[in-house]
Amino acid sequence: MNEEHKIIQQVYAAKEDIQAADQLIHTYLPFIRTETAKFLKRPPVEGQDDELSIAMIAFHEAIRRYSRIRGAFLKYAAMLIRSRLIDYSRKEQRHSGLVSLDTPMGEDDNPLGETIAEDRNPHEESETREATRAEIEELTRQMEEFGISLSDVADNCPRQHRTLDACRTALQYARDNPALLEEFLRTKRLPAEQLTAGSGVKRKTLERHRKYMVALLLIYTNGYEILRGHLKQIGKGVVSG
Amino acid sequence: MSYLVIEAHPSYTVLLDEEGRFFKAANLRYEVGQTVYDPVLMKDSPEKQRHPVRWISSGVAAIAACFLLFFGLSYYQSYMQTYSSIYLTINPQVQIDLNQQGIVVGLTGTNPDGRQLLEGYDGKGKDKATVADELVDRAIEMGFLSEGGWISFSIDVPDDDLFQEYRMELFTEITKHLEGRLTINIEIFRSTSQQSEHPVQSHPSAASSPDAGSLPAVSSAEFPEEPSSAAASPSEPDPSSGSGGGADLPSPSSTAPIPSEPGPGSGSGGGADLPSPSSTAPIPSEPDPGSGSGGGADLPSPSSTAPIPPDTDYGPGSDGVTDLTPPPADPIPPDTGEGTSDYGDGNSNYGGSNYSAGDSGYEEDD
Repeated sequence: MNEEHKIIQQVYAAKEDIQAADQLIHTYLPFIRTETAKFLKRPPVEGQDDELSIAMIAFHEAIRRYSRIRGAFLKYAAMLIRSRLIDYSRKEQRHSGLVSLDTPMGEDDNPLGETIAEDRNPHEESETREATRAEIEELTRQMEEFGISLSDVADNCPRQHRTLDACRTALQYARDNPALLEEFLRTKRLPAEQLTAGSGVKRKTLERHRKYMVALLLIYTNGYEILRGHLKQIGKGVVSG
Repeated sequence: MSYLVIEAHPSYTVLLDEEGRFFKAANLRYEVGQTVYDPVLMKDSPEKQRHPVRWISSGVAAIAACFLLFFGLSYYQSYMQTYSSIYLTINPQVQIDLNQQGIVVGLTGTNPDGRQLLEGYDGKGKDKATVADELVDRAIEMGFLSEGGWISFSIDVPDDDLFQEYRMELFTEITKHLEGRLTINIEIFRSTSQQSEHPVQSHPSAASSPDAGSLPAVSSAEFPEEPSSAAASPSEPDPSSGSGGGADLPSPSSTAPIPSEPGPGSGSGGGADLPSPSSTAPIPSEPDPGSGSGGGADLPSPSSTAPIPPDTDYGPGSDGVTDLTPPPADPIPPDTGEGTSDYGDGNSNYGGSNYSAGDSGYEEDD
């Protein structure tokens, strides 16, 4: 009983704090493994079975969705893990007719993937990845100054198209007014008032998605070329918005 | 849609899609900076908002559904469901299903003639008496029914009051309808089960030659329920007549019922009451000797009561030699040569009491 109370407290703490959530998952990794093994009917191999990753993200989801009225947390988590693993296996079934690139070819043990002509330059690719990573690290560092992590942003990201469009409209307004961005960088505060006045987006919407707005505005301040390149859809959305 | 991995934790990753949305996703061995195409995103859990409006509307819908169900059910029970049935037999046999209101909900021909009679006829939604009239008209048109013919109604209703009501209604209606056109014998009884065959298949019409246009019908109408069923027997009866006892009255053809249970015979007088609705058996199941004999004494007049017993063995003189006890075997067991069973007596009373005079006359006509 006491144990149960303890875990519920931990879960509620983990809802607020991503670190606590990580810690909780770490503590309950054996449980997650067991649930995965039940599904796979064999022990999962770390770093090889996607199912274990799926189970972990499902555990995250369980932390986020859990509330006392759902009963015991571990049972709820087990149920959710199982559901997500089933979803995943169904999704994978769609590709069941395909041949894996890792399939060994003929007598020699070279995987199939290696016999295909490379149309991408691995060196170039890894360079790009390095550059991207540098940018992301910079962004992460800069966001820390605002007291925000990227995981927070993921939790704070609007899901509804309407809200997303509203945020983009506000973003577009900020891009058109570089002075606003400068002030934002200087004060480290979201200029909600000016954005509301300028773009017509409701202040409440902006406040509610403050972290998300901060991330977007930061990306559009200085040099995040690669990230901006990735966000090709945003420009279009703003024009229409 | 491609996703950029912007944060990688052992248990999850954060992805950024091309539209500027951030997602948490399963970390399938991703690295920061990598672009992925088919991630397993964490499902969003939009906290379910409890809209009071939705709650209220669903509650209202539930209540409305209950009401509909309730009224629908009662409507169904009183209007759609077959509550009682009338089996009309001329020669065509027709089953008329009624709802609780006495309105016709279904018509079925139960023999080929019946089906022919119903061809092109739709009586649903009409009152039973109207349908009966119309069916009789059709029967006359098609030649199933002619002067002196017989109509038999077997009414299958759950309770007796209703039976009385339907009987009166049908009888008066048909009588009125045919008044001055045809003279027809009407016979109405209550059937307890859904048997579709009915007695009167034989054409007693011959026998029926009524005296005058008057209504033999009336008499028959008075038949309480089952005797008519007994009437069925007449067609085949006679071996008994040969046997002689009841010989005087070979009238098996007569529609006269053979009382099903002479039991009441003891109160021979009582025979008038026409008891036992239930038994359809042409032959009395229990002959009660002693009492019967007494009864016989009272009403020695079997002859007068034409209708009576074909199985006359046990006719008048009988002393209640009840040897017959094993009666049920055949309609009319020839029995011991003499058939002195009191049983006969019982019958006689019975028959006599009711239709006595009328019937007798009528049989002689035969």
